[in-house]
Amino acid sequence: MKSYDSDDELERALFALELEEPPADLRASILTATIYRPPLPVKPWEVWALGAACALLVWLLVAVSQGAAAPAMAALTGYLSEGLASFAQPATFFWIAVGGGAVVWISQLNLTLAPGAQQAQRR
Amino acid sequence: MNVAAALLEAPLIQSIDDDQALVSAAMGGRPDAFGTLVERYDRAVYHLAYRTLRDQEEARDVAQEAFFKAYRSLRTFRPGSKFSTWIFAIAYHACCDRLARRKRYSNDELPERADPGAGPEQQAIAGDEARRLRAAIEALPEKYRTVITLYHLQGRQYDEIAEVLGIPMGTVKTHLFRAKEQLRRLLAQGAAGVEQ
Repeated sequence: MKSYDSDDELERALFALELEEPPADLRASILTATIYRPPLPVKPWEVWALGAACALLVWLLVAVSQGAAAPAMAALTGYLSEGLASFAQPATFFWIAVGGGAVVWISQLNLTLAPGAQQAQRR
Repeated sequence: MNVAAALLEAPLIQSIDDDQALVSAAMGGRPDAFGTLVERYDRAVYHLAYRTLRDQEEARDVAQEAFFKAYRSLRTFRPGSKFSTWIFAIAYHACCDRLARRKRYSNDELPERADPGAGPEQQAIAGDEARRLRAAIEALPEKYRTVITLYHLQGRQYDEIAEVLGIPMGTVKTHLFRAKEQLRRLLAQGAAGVEQ
């Protein structure tokens, strides 16, 4: 049995050591989780939009069923007209432009740190 | 894409040596390019995870998780950097997370091998030098195991190891030196144990 007294001997033995075989289905499971992963049937924003539409519909149905259709419709039209009127003001356009600019600026940033940097930060 | 077209394109992807080109192809809507990257590095990533965690199931999960994360964040891959460094770093961080979780859920420190001499000794009885060496590597502390795995078993350079582990290159060299010292001691203990 070798005792690996010299550095060279140990180095040679280490470099000659072969990697163990991974589980037989490792590659298949990785590929299934990545490139063969079925795409989601709906996009997240579609779920949100559908949820909002459903909530609005339920609110209207409840309002109608309670015999308060007229005030509900009045409230709805009131909100819509207020919303439309606010678009006529220059300040609204200004803040929309500021918000849009901020969104574009943030989307250009690369907020993902390099893995090495993350490790360094953690330490 | 039909089957014939896929068969025609497959050799093209296989022939691309440059990982960067494969990443670009994968980002450009060629998932088979990412498949080639998986073929190139799955074994090495699994091996790194296995050496770090010493658990086959967890190593397998980490390998899968690392490639999944890489696939999802291909757009954050920095042009000019090495894919191998990137995927190793992702896998190593996943290992660190699991080690930290183990530590949190157990009362003790990280479970380093209780009896480092026992592994090599048992393997020595079997008369298999490679197994004996592997067992000795497994008996090393985690930081030394990882460095030895990346440098000797996977042939990575100092700078790449430093980037993967997020430590200075000097520390990598120090870890390697100390790892070899400990290895030699463990192997000598094993040899002495058998001779007695």
